[in-house]
Amino acid sequence: MRDLYQRLNVPPQANDEELQQAVARCPNSALRQDAEAAFAVAKRRADYDKLHATLSDIGKLRTQLGLTHGAHWQDDVANDFSVPPDEIVSRHDKLVDRVSHVVKLYNRWRGLRGAWLLIAIFTIGTGLGIALGLTLSQTLAA
Amino acid sequence: MPIARFSPFELLLLQSRSQVDTAKLLLLAWILVHRQHVSEGQRRRRLAQVCAHFRHGHELAPVMHIARQRDLKAIQLAAEVIRKECSEEHSLGVMHQAITVATDNGDLSLSNHYILRFVADLLNVLPTTLGTLFKELTGRALALPEDPSRDAYWRVHDADYYAQQARKAEEAARQAREAQEEAEQQEKRRQEEEAQRAHSKAQEKAERERARSDKSRNDKARKDQAHNDKARQQQERARRKEERERTKRQQQNSKSGSQKGSQQNSHQGYQNGYQHSHQQRSSTPPPPDRTTRALAVLELSPGVTQAEVRRAYRRMAQLHHPDRFYTQSEHQIALASARFQRIKSAYDYLMQTYR
Repeated sequence: MRDLYQRLNVPPQANDEELQQAVARCPNSALRQDAEAAFAVAKRRADYDKLHATLSDIGKLRTQLGLTHGAHWQDDVANDFSVPPDEIVSRHDKLVDRVSHVVKLYNRWRGLRGAWLLIAIFTIGTGLGIALGLTLSQTLAA
Repeated sequence: MPIARFSPFELLLLQSRSQVDTAKLLLLAWILVHRQHVSEGQRRRRLAQVCAHFRHGHELAPVMHIARQRDLKAIQLAAEVIRKECSEEHSLGVMHQAITVATDNGDLSLSNHYILRFVADLLNVLPTTLGTLFKELTGRALALPEDPSRDAYWRVHDADYYAQQARKAEEAARQAREAQEEAEQQEKRRQEEEAQRAHSKAQEKAERERARSDKSRNDKARKDQAHNDKARQQQERARRKEERERTKRQQQNSKSGSQKGSQQNSHQGYQNGYQHSHQQRSSTPPPPDRTTRALAVLELSPGVTQAEVRRAYRRMAQLHHPDRFYTQSEHQIALASARFQRIKSAYDYLMQTYR
């Protein structure tokens, strides 16, 4: 399975007209014939696109997992659907990082006895408010 | 520092009692989503059936939902979890489950061909191992996936379409042929009509000619008669002589009449001949007979160019040159030289006259 879009140099979301133009432009007659066959009918293009989407997904997954040279990833498919590894992020490591971060925050919160702190802030706030109100009323009366 | 929200799959994984089982569940759901000709309910039931021994401890619906959304991050996470946690035997078990889920009643879909291979690479299952496992489980060898990016695939899988196209093309060709035949027939009819017209015109002309000649003969006869009468009146004495003279003149008259008639006939014949040749020229101009024969000797048909004649002569001369046959009998050599002579004379003739 080859990536005809890549080989014809059109984006996969191109509409039928652009695609037909690209096919007509193609200098390689064998490739042109194949592309004509694959895109001749709307149903065929839909089928092709479905597989193309799956293979693009697998290509990205393989790049991220370091499996671009696997024993089962050879020839045309490997050539056309492997994406260059821009940044490889291990999702699992990221998840572990985030979980540990959350745990640390939580622990800090628990360690500072967050609930009591909240109540203390609340009482200080109300006290300040009452004092402010009293001084305001006295100045207005005077 | 704000942290991003946890995705649904991450939450599932954190809630799960067994992360590996949740991850396996997601991969199997992904394979099921790419199964063809299976209803949504069947997929759900199949997933529930597969995960009977799993210890995940959460709902299946969100897993199915994530798989259907093509959530690559989730699938990557699941793959990483599986790779981290699975031992070798365990990974064969996962492979086993993946194959049964992908194929259990129908064929392997094209997408699943690639997904299964992805899982195999992920679990470090070699192609030979995968092949034997697949054969044991399904009774069929794991073939290479077919390639819809090629013309040949569609000729097999969409044969109806190509049959229809061929039928259409045939129809068009037939119509074109009929139209051509029609045109040819019309042309022929037109030619025939023309010929008819020319023929009738010639006949008319001949008729007129004959009428005119008849009239002139009658006139002459009448004049003769008058003359004779006068002579009889004038010269009664010399009647015998007159008589003789008249018979002589009449004989002469009749002779000239027949001469005229033959002239007329020859004229008509000429016209007919002209007409005939004209008709032939309008259809296909036949080349002179000797040229055709000379061309036939060189195994050519009329209408070839001089260069082709030369090429054909070279070929034939090499083929039939008597020197080629010197190992064979005298008789063979004689035959070859006769053939060669014929070819050479045909070629010479063509070089002098052709084109």
